[in-house]
Amino acid sequence: MARVRLASGADPGAEIPAAAAGRGGSLLATETAPDGALQSIPALLARNARRWGAEPAYREKEYGIWQSWTWLEVAEEIRGLALGFLALGMERGDHVAIIGRNRPALYWSMVAAQSVGAMPVPLYQDAVAEEMTYVLDHCSARFVVAENQEQVDKVLEVQESVPAIEHVIYLDPRGMRKYDHSRLHALKDIEAEGRAAHERFERELEVRKAELGYDDTCVMLYTSGTTGKPKGVVLSNRNIIETSKNSAEFDHLRQSDEVLAYLPMAWVGDFIFSIGQAYWTGFCTNCPESADTMMTDLREIGPSYFFAPPRIFETLLTNVMIRMEDAGRFKRWLFARFMEHARKVGPKILDDKPVGARDRVKYLLGNLFVYGPLKNTLGLSRIRVAYTAGEAIGPEIFDFYRSLGINLKQLYGQTEASVFITQQPDHEVRPDTVGVPSPGVEIRIADSGEVYYRSPGVFVEYYKNPDSTASTKDPEGWVATGDAGFIEPETGHLRIIDRAKDVGKMADGSLFAPKYVENKLKFYPSILEAVVFGSGREMCCAFINIDLTAVGNWAERNNLAYSSYQELAGHGQVLDMIQSHVEEVNRSVAGDEMLSGCQIHRFLILHKELDADDGELTRTRKVRRRIIEEKYRDLIEALYGGKDEVYTETEVTYEDGRKGKIKATLKIRDAAVVETQARMAAE
Amino acid sequence: MKDTTEPHTTADGRKIGGVLMEMRNITLRFGGVEALRDISFDIRAGEVRAIIGPNGAGKSSMLNVISGFYHPQEGEVWFRGQRRPSMKPYQVARQGIARTFQNIALFDGMSVLDNIMTGRLTHMHAGLFAQALWWGRAQKEEVANREKVERIIDFLEIQHIRKTPVGRLPYGLKKRVELARALAAEPMLLLLDEPMAGMNVEEKEDMSRFILDVNDEFGTTIALIEHDMGVVMDLSDRVVVMDYGKKIGDGTPAEVRANPAVIDAYLGVAHD
Amino acid sequence: MPDTLLFAAEVTLNGLMAGVMYALVALGFVLIFKASGIFNYAQGVMALFAALTLVGIQQGQVPFAHLINAVFGTSVHHFGWTVPSLLAIALTVVVMIALAIAVERLVLKYLVNQEPIILFMATIGLAYFLEGFGDVMWGADIKRLDVGLPQGLNSVIDETTFNIFGYGFFIDNLDIVATVIAAALVLSLTVYSQFSRDGRALRAVADDHQAALSVGISLRYIWVLVWAIAGFVALVAGIMWGTKLGVQFSLSLIALKALPVLMLGGFTSIPGAIVGGLIIGMGEKLFEFFVGPLIGGATENWFAYVLALLFLVFRPQGLFGEKIIERV
Repeated sequence: MARVRLASGADPGAEIPAAAAGRGGSLLATETAPDGALQSIPALLARNARRWGAEPAYREKEYGIWQSWTWLEVAEEIRGLALGFLALGMERGDHVAIIGRNRPALYWSMVAAQSVGAMPVPLYQDAVAEEMTYVLDHCSARFVVAENQEQVDKVLEVQESVPAIEHVIYLDPRGMRKYDHSRLHALKDIEAEGRAAHERFERELEVRKAELGYDDTCVMLYTSGTTGKPKGVVLSNRNIIETSKNSAEFDHLRQSDEVLAYLPMAWVGDFIFSIGQAYWTGFCTNCPESADTMMTDLREIGPSYFFAPPRIFETLLTNVMIRMEDAGRFKRWLFARFMEHARKVGPKILDDKPVGARDRVKYLLGNLFVYGPLKNTLGLSRIRVAYTAGEAIGPEIFDFYRSLGINLKQLYGQTEASVFITQQPDHEVRPDTVGVPSPGVEIRIADSGEVYYRSPGVFVEYYKNPDSTASTKDPEGWVATGDAGFIEPETGHLRIIDRAKDVGKMADGSLFAPKYVENKLKFYPSILEAVVFGSGREMCCAFINIDLTAVGNWAERNNLAYSSYQELAGHGQVLDMIQSHVEEVNRSVAGDEMLSGCQIHRFLILHKELDADDGELTRTRKVRRRIIEEKYRDLIEALYGGKDEVYTETEVTYEDGRKGKIKATLKIRDAAVVETQARMAAE
Repeated sequence: MKDTTEPHTTADGRKIGGVLMEMRNITLRFGGVEALRDISFDIRAGEVRAIIGPNGAGKSSMLNVISGFYHPQEGEVWFRGQRRPSMKPYQVARQGIARTFQNIALFDGMSVLDNIMTGRLTHMHAGLFAQALWWGRAQKEEVANREKVERIIDFLEIQHIRKTPVGRLPYGLKKRVELARALAAEPMLLLLDEPMAGMNVEEKEDMSRFILDVNDEFGTTIALIEHDMGVVMDLSDRVVVMDYGKKIGDGTPAEVRANPAVIDAYLGVAHD
Repeated sequence: MPDTLLFAAEVTLNGLMAGVMYALVALGFVLIFKASGIFNYAQGVMALFAALTLVGIQQGQVPFAHLINAVFGTSVHHFGWTVPSLLAIALTVVVMIALAIAVERLVLKYLVNQEPIILFMATIGLAYFLEGFGDVMWGADIKRLDVGLPQGLNSVIDETTFNIFGYGFFIDNLDIVATVIAAALVLSLTVYSQFSRDGRALRAVADDHQAALSVGISLRYIWVLVWAIAGFVALVAGIMWGTKLGVQFSLSLIALKALPVLMLGGFTSIPGAIVGGLIIGMGEKLFEFFVGPLIGGATENWFAYVLALLFLVFRPQGLFGEKIIERV
């Protein structure tokens, strides 16, 4: 077991919890490279082309049909691209920005860049131009590979202020014919040029590939960060390959596995799953046709290894529930009856715990009539290992999937850790912990409650930011997570309470853990987002965001007319429903002595959805508490000022960057709180 | 100012060719009401031609004349250098003129894919008996056409609704499907009847981009009707302005904008 | 197995097969209604006309013999040859296509965009015209139709069931053939309308005329096509019913049996026509078997209509018809 010891605190660093796999054990990081020469992604590619040449490596749906490439074909594609990059003058140590949705050619561009000694820097494709400027400028990207016109336009727009950019390469030529092509190239032209000139560059490419060392940079990923400018996390080949190897062993990943690559390429999780683990184990990466077809593509591919943030699992479950509401009576009865049974014995069967023969038979029947077809429509029928992370997942949601026999587990990770810090081993899965330390990871808890870790996956540095590097990673290699948590003594599982800096004190000195309460609220399908305030205050108050799909559906069933989100959010019956949820949460919070002060006394439903475009959420959809506090100062004052309603005007940004104003009068409700000895309820 | 009536290459590299369609002295009456009075203008190959005017100016009547839904009492329609006899709408469609409708005319009960496939009907040749007897050949034709349709689906970014019945789609997407169906015909001339009507700002921008891309990528000649002047000016090469069934202006967007008669019609100032 | 149960099983089977025959007629209605919104009252007469034509061609009858003889004082009735069944059927198909073209040219063309009731009246006119025309062309006498379809007791089923249950089921060969043919017909119609060029055009026209025109579909061609297909279906129904009952005027009345089928199945659904036919066929036979004796029999005359009436009350759009939604 990894060591767990206490140590004094350090500054919380950049964040970004993340995702995926492994058998917890005493494996310590190997200091030397595995298998001799497998010290880089291009080296792994060469091995895969030799060992699994005819096996599928990538699939992508295009023009309504799944196209596929074998490892041999992929190696050939990447070689062509790498030659093309050489012909274009790509040098060792250059940064190559990659912008676009998950597409095979963009993954290949990353590996091709690595092959010539350059470093890929995938960017978030929905970043607006100014966010992009900062990153492109910070890493002085000489090359940008962009998916399509939309992305090229953004790059061209910022090119003025980022002089380093020399060449922009695009994948999809649509709409780009009339552009000035002096520094703009089609990816397939680059590849063709490379092949045409292969005699000149073949040797150079071999030399460059042979130079790649285990401690050279593999990839640089920018963290979106809840505060301040994004930081470039430098991850070495060692970080990526060791982590991929350990986690692949932990979950027994194999060459025949299938994953669906649909999460942002700029996110460390996607890099680990779709590149690290994919190249280590040789499994197949499937790319959806478009962002909007993800659910259909999921169903068609039926991945065996799957990662999704809780939000996706919630959406899937909500869709199932909505469809069941509309189903016939017999179907509903069958569903209710068998789901009840599944909830009782499903998780036990999954965890290999003893279950009676009669229950097993009934579960088999259920599998035939309900669970099987259901998993099939969800696209989850072939799942061996599924992970969720990033945010806490609702226990009911978590249990729902497990009771169906889907091996859904949780992990806890960060960009700086190359994802894995802790993960749940098979048969030790619970909704309220994030598992045991991943193989090779050591964990300790500081006095402040902050969680620290050390592992072979720990990042090299923040690019051009030694101060932040020093304040995040100490000389011994310990990294601060920025999260507060504790290790359960009896099981060795880690439990996360909240962001370390967000765990505060209320006016009377009792503990204030907003996320803990927010998560409980968000477990209700009708609540999309919640923000709880109370640090240094007498009582807790909350903003609620309703889920338009769930509440809209509920409204339809209850014959509630509404014409807009805003109108629905302000509806009396909706407020009543949310109030009942809040009060239920209060009862549950009151049950935990330490946190009973966090009960919500007053709340309001926001008139707009919190949005990353307005800066209220991060790109990974996490609440930016401080910005919200600043922006909605008037609402908070009204909550604590005892008013019944408040008029407000809010500036919003549309997708095209234009701004507008929303005006609304919001009602404020008081929620019942449970009196505890520790604290008298206000008023 | 460059002479826009001669074949030339635009600043952004598109080739404008000779006259594709010419309307000569078109007059259309419904009973005693003159919807169109002695209107003449031409459409050149490769250009985006707009017909604008306030509501009731006769724009839609003009489009219906071009697409064969209305038959003018006087005047001639010339297409590809030949005078066009009076034609039924389906005959016009078979000549290579596709259109969309202001109020959207889709087959609501059919899927998006099937709707777009109907756009290929003019390109499918296996006859009734061939379809029944030589199933294989008809099948091959079907596959070839499906491929074309898939490219359009990809082009207009509607992959996610491929199998959805059209009746269930929101308005903006329906407009896009209708454009897709018209494009599937690979028309020589594409007529768009108020393509942005009823759309929000974002949808309008998407639609503008698609229209420009279609013109740019396939070299399709486009004639469109709009009453929103702003959108049109950015999109089109030349603009015809109509008011009360008469043509009151014709030229590049800049020329039209400077035309006093046009300004009056739009600002509602009466001369004399 | 108790006897009653066996009888009931046999009755059910016979009912289902009779249902197939009803469905064949209903199918013709549905096709035309779906594509053009016309309730074609003449569908039953078309079946009669098709059967008359088939018999006439097969037996080498001289068309309009009475008329010719009356005008010219001649006495020709037969050409003196008989035409092989398959060829006769093919020729009849040609005649039905010609009829479809004629209907479009002479009637429908002038009624474009008219109210449905006007079109309905036109088909009533068509029905009476066609009935008289058939008489004049082929004579009014009852004819036997035999195109070589097997008829009578199916001995294999009879023996097998006798060996198993000790009671032989009486199943008519003709009914079995009808079922097979109906199934093939529905299957090919479905495939045709889903996957062929004309099928897609057909659905397009059924959905929206204006849009269909704009994609280059000629409405007149589609109408000819639909009427020709309906004529073909009428021929199939005519052959089945004609073989069973003989070709005579009452054949056109089977259209009336198709009405309750349509109410049950919906006017716009091909599977509806089939299922509707099966329910009516099975229902009326079982009702006659179980309830008939209690209330004096002859329930088959009215049962179908009462069932359809009940259905109309609870589900006006039929089993498979498009849902009627009134937006307020």
